[in-house]
Amino acid sequence: MVNLEIGKQLIQGHKKLINLLFFGRLGEFAQDVSQSYECSGESMTPLAIREKLTLESEALGQELSEPQVLVAVNKMIVKWDHDVCDGDELAFLPPVTGG
Amino acid sequence: MSVLMSIQEDDFDIGVEHQRLKSAGNGVGAIVTFTGLVREFESDPKSADFQANLSTLTLEYYPEMTEQLLAEIIQQSFDRWPLVGVSVVHRVGSLKPNDQIVFVGVASEHRQEAFQAAQFLMDYLKTRATFWKKIEVDGESHWAEAKVSDNVAAAKWEGENVEKC
Repeated sequence: MVNLEIGKQLIQGHKKLINLLFFGRLGEFAQDVSQSYECSGESMTPLAIREKLTLESEALGQELSEPQVLVAVNKMIVKWDHDVCDGDELAFLPPVTGG
Repeated sequence: MSVLMSIQEDDFDIGVEHQRLKSAGNGVGAIVTFTGLVREFESDPKSADFQANLSTLTLEYYPEMTEQLLAEIIQQSFDRWPLVGVSVVHRVGSLKPNDQIVFVGVASEHRQEAFQAAQFLMDYLKTRATFWKKIEVDGESHWAEAKVSDNVAAAKWEGENVEKC
């Protein structure tokens, strides 16, 4: 019973993190910054997280502020003021270069 | 009707893919295929004369999201043209000069829609599907820059949007 409760808390605790992903050249700038943020109940936006990241690395902040950089929440392209919280996956996507 | 979409590290066989499109369904009268290869020389957009030997091309993608985007692009091609079969294969991981990177094949009743859909699929894949190329030249690596010409090519399809939804 006790173990179950701890397990639940661990799962919930894990879920509350917003996981960050940086693709392409953005990954090179993101090696020394937070890879996740705690939501702590209130909702955040990709824009707010970009501002937090800029405090950690100005170079990354500059890259993320390029107008061609897109953001995806849970693998869907969203606007920079989209709500993110509770276990969301937030990805920063530079212009694509496949094919 | 046949749809194949694959993101894979392994090489592909265009003979096998052609055969698949041939047997995509009744009424196939035309097949158009495109194969993209890794170029041996990398030109620098900043200096027109500069060319360097490319040693490795590494392709990164966003698992699940890239598949979703490719599926949407393929769906749009079916919405725009009466197609019988579409195949899209994109390789990821580490590639060498002259390796095959991408395959797009379209089967339809007549050639016009197959030509157009193949061009559309490549134009949209290049500008919308989440793949990123890292280029290693003379021991140094850098991420490929998106090309304006690719965006211009893709934008041409926007004006003639005939999607059902």
